[in-house]
Amino acid sequence: MAWDSSTLSEAVREGDDGETVSIVKAAITDGVAPIDILEEGLVPGIQQLGDLFKDGEVFLPEVLISCRAMDRGVAELKPYLATSEMHKKGKIVLGTVEGDLHDIGKNIVRLMLECAGFDVVDLGVDVSADGFVQAVKDHSPSIVAMSALLTITMTNMPEVIEALEKAGLRSQVRVMIGGAPITREYADQIGAEGFAEDCATAVGEAERLVAS
Amino acid sequence: MAISERQRFLDICHFKRTGDMCLLAPWLNDFWVEVPEVWMKAGAPAEFTDTRKMRDYFGFDHIRLMREIQSGLLMDARMDVLGMEYVYAIPPILPLYETKILDQDEHTVTVFNAGGQTARVYKDDPQKMPMYLDQPVKDWATWKEYKKRLDPATPERFPADWDGYAARMNAKDEPLLLNVGSFFGFLREWMGLEPLLYMFHDDPALIDDMMDTLCNLEIECINKAMDKVRVDGATFWEDMAFKTGPLISPKMFRRFMMPHYKKITDLLRSKGVDVIFVDSDGNLNHLIPLWIESGVNFFWPLEVAAGNDAVHYRKTYGKDAILGGNIDKRVLMKSKELIREEVMSKVPYLLEQGGYFPSIDHFVPPDAPFENYLYLINTLREVGGLPPLHQ
Repeated sequence: MAWDSSTLSEAVREGDDGETVSIVKAAITDGVAPIDILEEGLVPGIQQLGDLFKDGEVFLPEVLISCRAMDRGVAELKPYLATSEMHKKGKIVLGTVEGDLHDIGKNIVRLMLECAGFDVVDLGVDVSADGFVQAVKDHSPSIVAMSALLTITMTNMPEVIEALEKAGLRSQVRVMIGGAPITREYADQIGAEGFAEDCATAVGEAERLVAS
Repeated sequence: MAISERQRFLDICHFKRTGDMCLLAPWLNDFWVEVPEVWMKAGAPAEFTDTRKMRDYFGFDHIRLMREIQSGLLMDARMDVLGMEYVYAIPPILPLYETKILDQDEHTVTVFNAGGQTARVYKDDPQKMPMYLDQPVKDWATWKEYKKRLDPATPERFPADWDGYAARMNAKDEPLLLNVGSFFGFLREWMGLEPLLYMFHDDPALIDDMMDTLCNLEIECINKAMDKVRVDGATFWEDMAFKTGPLISPKMFRRFMMPHYKKITDLLRSKGVDVIFVDSDGNLNHLIPLWIESGVNFFWPLEVAAGNDAVHYRKTYGKDAILGGNIDKRVLMKSKELIREEVMSKVPYLLEQGGYFPSIDHFVPPDAPFENYLYLINTLREVGGLPPLHQ
């Protein structure tokens, strides 16, 4: 069957991982350039899904199963792609701030960012200011992304920014924050360049930050 | 003749006592476990060691959630963690699992709790919300084992002296609430959020079986409880939304949850209970109309940070929705001016319309100063035409 990128996008959008893998395999066999399979088939599928999520047409379960389909499609493609082709949007260091063990939102944001083509270094939960600083030294990301669920832990976000300044790293990265109590006003107040309302807007905000 | 607390509660729920400032506790007006200690260190009365006295200090009106009947969320499971207390909530399983400490590092302790979950809690503050590492239900095999703990006929599900308990409850002046469980919330507790969301897609029959089991448990418990006890309201616990919307789609809600809700709300209404409460954090914009269609009509806490607007809900749903909460907890950490502004922006209107129980939009957090909270309560009392407390 001739290569039809829209069929692959649809499989991703519908969260059909079996169909996604099958179309990717067939395209590879047919000699379609791996980068085209990624950029014309897989990525538009997840982007369409992200738009549907933003518009309230689909919800978290659909996002998760589409990300899983995307992930499985990319895994098939991986041996044929250079790392630089897969993560060309940039690198993001991500974690919940010190004192916060709540990782569900962070994990979904990670999935969405990875699906969108970012290289995400997930530091996990309860990450100290020093932990973020060390990760910036180790990985040289474009963005440091922090999340907090609680009002009592969101106050650790400015400490991370201060620690990055003290370490002389602040100018090298953009800082993006999110989580239940976080607002754009709070991001402005603590000097974070980026704010994401939810997992769908996190992708657009990260793209805005790396482009600016 | 003075109206009973029970009748007053029902009248407000039925939009008959507009303007009545009823600050219900516990639950609607309640505190995180660590609040009394923090406030006493900051100069609050020593009597705050007793939460009942603390509620009386703030002049709260009483409501009685019959927690002795094991039909819903068990909110105060307790475990000793290296000399400190870890208080947590679990579904109504019987018997409970035997708790264990599995591991520890410098800052945290890994525990196996009475709900069958493995969780990491902080050594210095076990009340901080834990991180769940493992859940008891993963597939059909683990579910079949787990569901043995959801037998409605387990004798311990009701107080041993059931007739005596029922008589004591019926003699109370305050409104009585019966826990009627949860569909989404309990499944999340059993499986974890991400595995559960995948399961809706991957194995809907397993989701159906879990919800059927819960529905049957609740129907049996409601029938037994209401044979002896007069019940004024019923309460679900779900916590099924995040900051911008529900954790599942409206389509999935209709497919999986609505039929079960309807069975329970129809049964309750057939027995004269028409106040049916649901506790869910997060943005409820999509969920409230679905719950109303399912027979649920009382919504709390209506978190402001998640985009809930009680004034909008009142205008949209009229008398189909009893509302509670929606006073932004974040103003407590700011200033008295902002507390007043927040109260005045909505509470007078909501009280005037009726069917509203004021409270902040979840439990009071430990970083809320005591004097600001007292100011909030006195501002609410002022709106309700009541004299200030402790001035």
